[in-house]
Amino acid sequence: MANTFQLEIIATDRVFFRGECEHLVITAIDGLLGIMAGHEPLVTVLPTGELKYMVDGKWLYAAISEGFIQVMPDKAIILADSCELPEEIDIKRAEEARQRAEELMKQKQSIKEYYQTQAALNRAINRLKVSQKHFK
Amino acid sequence: MPNMREIRERIASIQQILKITNAMYLMSSSKLKKARKSLDATEPYFYKLQETIESVLEHTPHTRQAYFDRRTNIPEEKRKKGYIVITADKGLCGSYNHNILKYAEQKLAEAADIDNCYLFVMGQVGRMYFQRRMRNNKKASVDGEFLYTTQNPTLYRAMEIAQTVLKKFENHELDEVYLLYTDMVNSNLQEPRTVQLLPFQRKHMGKASDGTMKKLPKASFVPSPEKVMEFLIPQYAKGIIYGAMVEAFCCEQQSRMTAMDAATTSARDMIKDLSLLYNRARQAAITQEITEVVGGANSLEE
Repeated sequence: MANTFQLEIIATDRVFFRGECEHLVITAIDGLLGIMAGHEPLVTVLPTGELKYMVDGKWLYAAISEGFIQVMPDKAIILADSCELPEEIDIKRAEEARQRAEELMKQKQSIKEYYQTQAALNRAINRLKVSQKHFK
Repeated sequence: MPNMREIRERIASIQQILKITNAMYLMSSSKLKKARKSLDATEPYFYKLQETIESVLEHTPHTRQAYFDRRTNIPEEKRKKGYIVITADKGLCGSYNHNILKYAEQKLAEAADIDNCYLFVMGQVGRMYFQRRMRNNKKASVDGEFLYTTQNPTLYRAMEIAQTVLKKFENHELDEVYLLYTDMVNSNLQEPRTVQLLPFQRKHMGKASDGTMKKLPKASFVPSPEKVMEFLIPQYAKGIIYGAMVEAFCCEQQSRMTAMDAATTSARDMIKDLSLLYNRARQAAITQEITEVVGGANSLEE
């Protein structure tokens, strides 16, 4: 049994995961970041992206949108807007959201609207990516 | 003795009202169930967010990040204060609106200069209230473009609100931002509460209980403390606003349900009292009629 640490992933609408975890890999702003037990204290930002964590020797994947992580030697807390398992993702809805966002990107928008649409597009693409990669 | 017909009409009208209040009771209780569910789902996030941010700040080295800027060079009476007030969209919910508005009023009275207070009101009732107040020349301007409903809170709406106030803070249009909402202590007790959103405050300032600086391990921030904070604070503001919205919406439904339940009960009581009165009047009318008939018959006999 490998060394474990307490991992909490909390989304705004539910507690996504709470338990012991052996290895966590997150997508931070500047690339992938692996975390194991005894990691130095760290705080970083998580953009919309993919996440994987190992429980009992098995990798679990999730799609996450905007959040942050606090890492302590014995625990890690992820707080995010939303977090989903690949099998929970509604491909149809994500596809629709992507098309809608792409359509909006082509139109003239204010800067604020542009950023919001861009974020929506990122979320949709990320959902599709995670779901296609890990759930077939 | 009141007229029988009058009593009958009153009973009928109360029955109509009873139907309405009862329907509203049922509606708000089903809405409450939904609001409760989303509150239960959000609460862990809400509390964990506050807790985590606090502990993150303990480990944060001093930063010159804009959101921490307390702008101490601006004197108290010149500080522009923003208040986000969460009220209901509709009335008929007991003292819910009244309480939060009174609380906001109190906060405004505490402010050094009411002309420098800016209100961001969510919910029709509150907006109407403050706009009427503004017309009566009691200043504290209401942002007319700030139109958000409190029905069914969404993260997206919270994000827009957070962006609006953060932007105003950055542009020095506001120096302090507070969030006023109703907190659900338990299902019977609701309390208006204030949270200071900006400037971002550190509670502990790294001091232990005996006043000495706590030796906290400095956490490393990737890519840099400033960058992280730049992202973290809008995220935090969004989370807090969303949490407050969910909490307030749940409170609104709760107090509407209680108010409508009370209204239904008292309508039933009134109907009971009035039917008694009606029966008494009817009885009196019959008795009188009998007396008259008997009197008439007796006079014939004589």
